[in-house]
Amino acid sequence: MSLSTHNLSVGYHDKAIVKQVDLTIPEGKIIALLGPNGCGKSTLLKAMARILSPMEGQVHWQGKNLHGIASKKLAQQLALLPQTQPIPEGIKVKDLVAYGRSPYTGFWGRINKDDQVIIDKMMEETGITELADQLVSELSGGQRQRVWLAMTLAQDTPYLLLDEPTTYMDLSHQVELMHLLRKLNLQGKTIITVLHDINQAARYCDHLIVMKQGEIITQGSPESVLTQKLLKKVFSLDAQIHQDPIAKTPMCVVE
Amino acid sequence: MISIRLPFVGQCLILLLLLLVCSWTSLFSWSVITITPMDALHALYNMDKESIAQHIVHDLRLPRVLIGIMVGANLAAAGVIMQGLTQNPLASPSVLGINAGAALGMATVSTIAPWFGLLGSSVAAIIGGGIAWAFVMLLGSAWRGGNEHGRLVLAGVAISALCAALTKAVIIIAEDQAAGVLTWLAGSLTDARWQTFDSFWPVCVIGLLGAMLIAPTLNLLQLGDDNARNLGVSLMWVKLGGSFLVLLLVGSAISSVGAIGFVGLLVPHMARMLAGQDHRKFLPIAMMLGACLVVLSDTVSRAIIYPAETPAGAILALIGAPFFIYLVRKRTL
Repeated sequence: MSLSTHNLSVGYHDKAIVKQVDLTIPEGKIIALLGPNGCGKSTLLKAMARILSPMEGQVHWQGKNLHGIASKKLAQQLALLPQTQPIPEGIKVKDLVAYGRSPYTGFWGRINKDDQVIIDKMMEETGITELADQLVSELSGGQRQRVWLAMTLAQDTPYLLLDEPTTYMDLSHQVELMHLLRKLNLQGKTIITVLHDINQAARYCDHLIVMKQGEIITQGSPESVLTQKLLKKVFSLDAQIHQDPIAKTPMCVVE
Repeated sequence: MISIRLPFVGQCLILLLLLLVCSWTSLFSWSVITITPMDALHALYNMDKESIAQHIVHDLRLPRVLIGIMVGANLAAAGVIMQGLTQNPLASPSVLGINAGAALGMATVSTIAPWFGLLGSSVAAIIGGGIAWAFVMLLGSAWRGGNEHGRLVLAGVAISALCAALTKAVIIIAEDQAAGVLTWLAGSLTDARWQTFDSFWPVCVIGLLGAMLIAPTLNLLQLGDDNARNLGVSLMWVKLGGSFLVLLLVGSAISSVGAIGFVGLLVPHMARMLAGQDHRKFLPIAMMLGACLVVLSDTVSRAIIYPAETPAGAILALIGAPFFIYLVRKRTL
């Protein structure tokens, strides 16, 4: 009930990308946003994180309009990992992760002991502890992605919005990330993530939301959502649905 | 990047010492009437009313040095804020048209519309600079942030050229005032007196304190607009507040001594090399470096064609232009 959209339209340059969406994010779950390129997944995520202002309709956080909430307070509730990240010059990994604590520090940004504990923990969880003293600009794409993720996690918010968090990561780090998301979920966090890999979404997420051309086509558990008809309709894909032999979740195989 | 990694406090102390030495040297060197180094000190705390040398130090040289320090600190801080707000390494009052706009404002007031002089030349400079800055930001679509680096600089160059042309036109129309305006355009500390100091220092203190207050937020802007917003930064207020501070800092400096360029471009980069990317550290370093640089150029400006004076702005341009070229070559914009 905490995060919901009401007749929400968002876009760029007067052109709506997300069209009149009514959506309530189920609390306490890992939710995947799926859909073909340009369907408005990222735009919807950005609107829910208040990066974009609605052209029409509203986003509500705990029953109140998102745009009426103080910036700093909201940053303690919602954290977004954007899809593309700048490469900041001359900033060390540990300093970047520490910036994740800025919604909690005083205006001067001084890090106290409690902050440091969270920073160290998140660096450990994302496996970047040994990179702490390196410059962010010197890392590989996958390493950098994990550093940004650690910063977002250091924000320690009950809701996490991730836009393709697995970008640039090799398979083993992708799997590690999905396990980490489950661990955070079990600690009580609600996680909304855009994913490209349908099978990954079906295996690791509780709730799938499928979008096409700015509208929500269907949502629900992986079993109920993933059907041959849906894959044809949304992705124009001829595929069969099988059961994953290990996780027992649905899995699509392209014909 | 060259990195000279002294502890932060050490760097501050060394720069402070350097600033004191530069200021002291500036108090006694290259004077037509001989001033001894001791005269310079005596004039500060134990003035001998009979000594002409000490009167020169107290009445002419001291305000000049103090104004030089403030101008340097102001322009350096303005450069740091502008580079932080626009995420553009070339952003500075001179490149993005504020200097030219402020100059146009000043020239218009002192020639065509002297009745406006009631409001004071600082106000004219701030308004002129503000209008130019607003145009540059709109043309360069700087509010959108991101990869518009080239566009912003282009807009700055275009607006600067336009303002410079208009300023020239104004000077031609009101020829009798031209000499004064031209000296002023070059930027010189020759006419810096206690009177200027008195009206300058309150604005300077407010501007520099404001700059320090905004420093931690500039750190977050380095992470890109989306991340900054996500971390609880209210972008619109930061950009408006930052722009206001820049106008305050640049406008007050320019109306005191004229259009001194390059400090705002040069010094932030030097400060980053010394203190790293944390604005909380390199901003105060930049202020002190800027102060040193302006006081030093002012001293040199008296030495070059002694006993006549070259405008300090010209000396700074001589140092600044090669550094500018170095930056353009080194950075991928």
